[in-house]
Amino acid sequence: MAWNPSKPTVVRHDSGCSEEEDVKICPRDSGYDSLSNRLSVLDRLLHTHPIWLQLGLSEEEVAEVLQPQPPGLFLVHKSTKMQKKVLSLRLPQECGTSLKEFAIKESAYTFSLEGSGISFADLFRLIAFYCISRKIRDVLPFTLKLPYAISTAKTEAKLEELAQLGLNFWSSPADTKPPNSPAPHSPLSSDGVCPASLRQLCLINGVHSIKTRTPSELECSQTNGALCFINPLFLKVHSQDLSGGLKRPSTRTPNANGTERPRSPPPRPPPPAINSLHTSPRLSGTETQTSVPETVNHNKHGNVALPGTKPTPIPPPRLKKQASFLEAEGGAKTLTGGRPGAGAAGSAGGAPPAAAPGDCTRAPPPGVESRPPRHGGRQRLSDLSISTSSSDSLEYDRSMPLFGYEADTNSSLDDYEGESDQETMAPPVKSKKKRSSSFVLPKLVKSQLQKVSGVFSSFMTPEKRMVRRIAELSRDKCTYFGCLVQDYVSFLQENRDCHVSSTDLLQTIRQFMTQVKNYLSQSSELDPPIESLIPEDQIDVVLEKAMHKCILKPLKGHVEAMLKDFHVADGSWKQLKDNLQLVRQRNPQELGVFAPTPDFVDVEKIKVKFMTMQKMYSPEKKVMLLLRVCKLIYTVMENNSGRMYGADDFLPVLTYVIAQCDMLELDTEVEYMMELLDPSLLHGEGGYYLTSAYGALSLIKNFQEEQAARLLSSETRDTLRQWHKRRTANRTIPSVDDFQNYLRVAFQEVGSGCTGKTLLVRPYVTTEDVCQICAEKFKVQDPEEYSLFLFVDETWQQLAEDTYPQKIKAELHSRPQPHIFHFVYKRVKSDSYGVIFQNEDEDLTTS
Amino acid sequence: MAIRELKVCLLGDTGVGKSSIVCRFVQDHFDHNISPTIGASFMTKTVPCGNELHKFLIWDTAGQERFHSLAPMYYRGSAAAVIVYDITKQDSFHTLKKWVKELKEHGPENIVMAIAGNKCDLSDIREVPLKDAKEYAESIGALVVETSAKNAINIEELFQGISRRIPPLDPHENGNSGAIKLGKAGTQASRRCC
Repeated sequence: MAWNPSKPTVVRHDSGCSEEEDVKICPRDSGYDSLSNRLSVLDRLLHTHPIWLQLGLSEEEVAEVLQPQPPGLFLVHKSTKMQKKVLSLRLPQECGTSLKEFAIKESAYTFSLEGSGISFADLFRLIAFYCISRKIRDVLPFTLKLPYAISTAKTEAKLEELAQLGLNFWSSPADTKPPNSPAPHSPLSSDGVCPASLRQLCLINGVHSIKTRTPSELECSQTNGALCFINPLFLKVHSQDLSGGLKRPSTRTPNANGTERPRSPPPRPPPPAINSLHTSPRLSGTETQTSVPETVNHNKHGNVALPGTKPTPIPPPRLKKQASFLEAEGGAKTLTGGRPGAGAAGSAGGAPPAAAPGDCTRAPPPGVESRPPRHGGRQRLSDLSISTSSSDSLEYDRSMPLFGYEADTNSSLDDYEGESDQETMAPPVKSKKKRSSSFVLPKLVKSQLQKVSGVFSSFMTPEKRMVRRIAELSRDKCTYFGCLVQDYVSFLQENRDCHVSSTDLLQTIRQFMTQVKNYLSQSSELDPPIESLIPEDQIDVVLEKAMHKCILKPLKGHVEAMLKDFHVADGSWKQLKDNLQLVRQRNPQELGVFAPTPDFVDVEKIKVKFMTMQKMYSPEKKVMLLLRVCKLIYTVMENNSGRMYGADDFLPVLTYVIAQCDMLELDTEVEYMMELLDPSLLHGEGGYYLTSAYGALSLIKNFQEEQAARLLSSETRDTLRQWHKRRTANRTIPSVDDFQNYLRVAFQEVGSGCTGKTLLVRPYVTTEDVCQICAEKFKVQDPEEYSLFLFVDETWQQLAEDTYPQKIKAELHSRPQPHIFHFVYKRVKSDSYGVIFQNEDEDLTTS
Repeated sequence: MAIRELKVCLLGDTGVGKSSIVCRFVQDHFDHNISPTIGASFMTKTVPCGNELHKFLIWDTAGQERFHSLAPMYYRGSAAAVIVYDITKQDSFHTLKKWVKELKEHGPENIVMAIAGNKCDLSDIREVPLKDAKEYAESIGALVVETSAKNAINIEELFQGISRRIPPLDPHENGNSGAIKLGKAGTQASRRCC
């Protein structure tokens, strides 16, 4: 019996890729001694994706790579034929062909193998599952196998080292073969059994039942989605009933040395199993003892240690490579507190940028050696992967397709700030959210979830996880992306007077977001790559959300204040205020209303929605609320008459309603949405009703004039023109140069330390000009004594007057090995350091 | 098949039947539960065209004179404009000419213009001869067709005509042409075509 909700342990065991299980399974898988080896298959996969995830490879190249490999090895690439990701699997010789491709199906939320009923939250979990699962091979002829070097690597460092090889791994000596090949790993294939008969075996084993049975309590309303999700959390909730609630986490002692086995000794590694079939009963037997993978525990501790989370009787955090990621979720504040511990794994992480914002781009004092450039970032990034992988992700996140909504509300505890009303955000009409909310959660699960919500705040959809990861990256000034975002945000906050109008301000922000999105979708800074976590058609949506979080969230207050200032300054605030009074005194007919209008109660409801809207920083969520308002208005109009109303009727009613609401802030709200909403959404329904709201406000604002001349003020026309310009501007693909308009320059003065400023420096601004700007900004008396230096690789280079700092920065960023560098404005000494960058230096000055 | 989103704006005097035309177009062959989503002033419908799917995002405008000044916001970025007049009202044909002029001056370049003489079921009280409309349309290079939203005459043809005139995947005309990334609304609706 392989899949039985009432006895879930069996499946959980198979599906789990958590550390502990891995420890048990790994030896069996490979036959190698890996007892001391604490790395899960998922860890291994996450670390080594540059090896097996080869999206750019052609079919031929894949065949070439896999040909010399033993059966069971695989690559994931993108098939040009199918326009899909495919898993290419090396088959045993007996099967005729040497390779078989399995298409990977990406639905809005999940990854699954074509034809399979099992879905996964991301690609890593999918692969990990098929690497580990011995009984449930599903559509595959046999269990996937990791290259020997990867499956036997003892440390993350080793994995990283292998990963560095990338595709070359396959042809390098690093790709060693196991001592006793053929591997015991794929026993069936070594028996010469071909896929078809393997399938038979699976069926005999009853495994196919996994395709047809979903956990009874769960009702999945997706029509064409996979039939079930492997969902360890869900299963665990059930097993908790048996074993007594949540006591397990607390009974576990955090084993600081990381070697001691918790609770019960691991089952002996079974003999190299020709008969994985036979081992299954035993697996299920042992399962209950080990149902909480150790790393989960770490995470729980990690969470509990966070300021602000509910205290639970769980030992203090173990400060070891634990979820910096998780902590980052708590927002910047928690991050600052949590990071040093998280980063403690390597001394390089000792000064994480979040702990000392701006640290990295400020000039290092002369004595400070530059940190091993990539090491710091690298180490930390890999920590990230670990935390996602070994614990929270696999155990909890993967269940997200089922628990999406519930979890959102739970985890939004720390996502507070204006975005707390996830559930009220269900859009007025059908949308994807509705779908997820239609999963019926068993009461039991719900209550369990609530109890542990603090502990499970890591419990997120891959989407949410990705958004958070990007948000965290955006705070990390050691990454190019982090630099971009932080420099931009601080530039805006420091320079209040660099925008001529509210539209100008918003448009530059929008432009920046679009460009950064573009950058992110192509950059390699996201590790693992976004394609491996997010189905392709969702990538842009996810990136857009991430932009809102890392750019709009910190800027919201500032932008609002600025907008209001602009409106007060140009008189439009007062104009709206005065006219609003006038309009409110008119009766509906005078405004052209000939349809039923909302009554007082409805207007109050609408006002509440508008007030909620003001709290959101995401333009999309604001628009959702606007749509709900419009829906409400339509309901009132239609309910009372039974006919369909077009814009002839709707626009006057909307104008009337907006006037009745008497909220001056709506003007800035609408402007915020119009300018910041993803341009691709402007043509849709949101865009339409937003336009109508804008139109209604314009009519109100110009009510007096309209009465007199029935003309739109020239001002509004200007806005429209500018708006149009933005649309056209957005069509051109942003170039890398566009985002390099900001340059962080440190000012170093003998004896007085460093100050940094973000300057607006366009790509073709020369060092000479930058020096001039610096002289002004830093109030230098004797500018001729100063010059701009580049500090990189522990050397100082004075930049020649005719070089372009932005070009140099671009070049540095584009090097394969990232460098930490700083632009420093300081005194020119007689013993000038290093070489002078000459303009002729082709490498650095040509783009 | 690639879905191309095409913004279409509806212009014309109040009362000529702009929204009736769209309701007819959208609701024939359409699941009533799906559309309209919020209200009839914005509707979508997807139709196949060659090896593309055209998803029409139809923006209705308020026809009253006082809202005239807002029209640029609605036709901005449109791939096509349907300008509607009432064949029983000469005035509405006059207004139509004003719209055409405005579009020529301020509208998007290469916008496909389609003229619909609505209420052709009432041809016995017609004020605008079909010949006038045809000549005018020819002079400005627009499509023209007489329609009856009430009797479902030529509605389908009107939009098919627009579809045919949309240049296949012109990168300049519609930014999000090939993308499947649709707005929140009506995503589910898009697969079902006539």
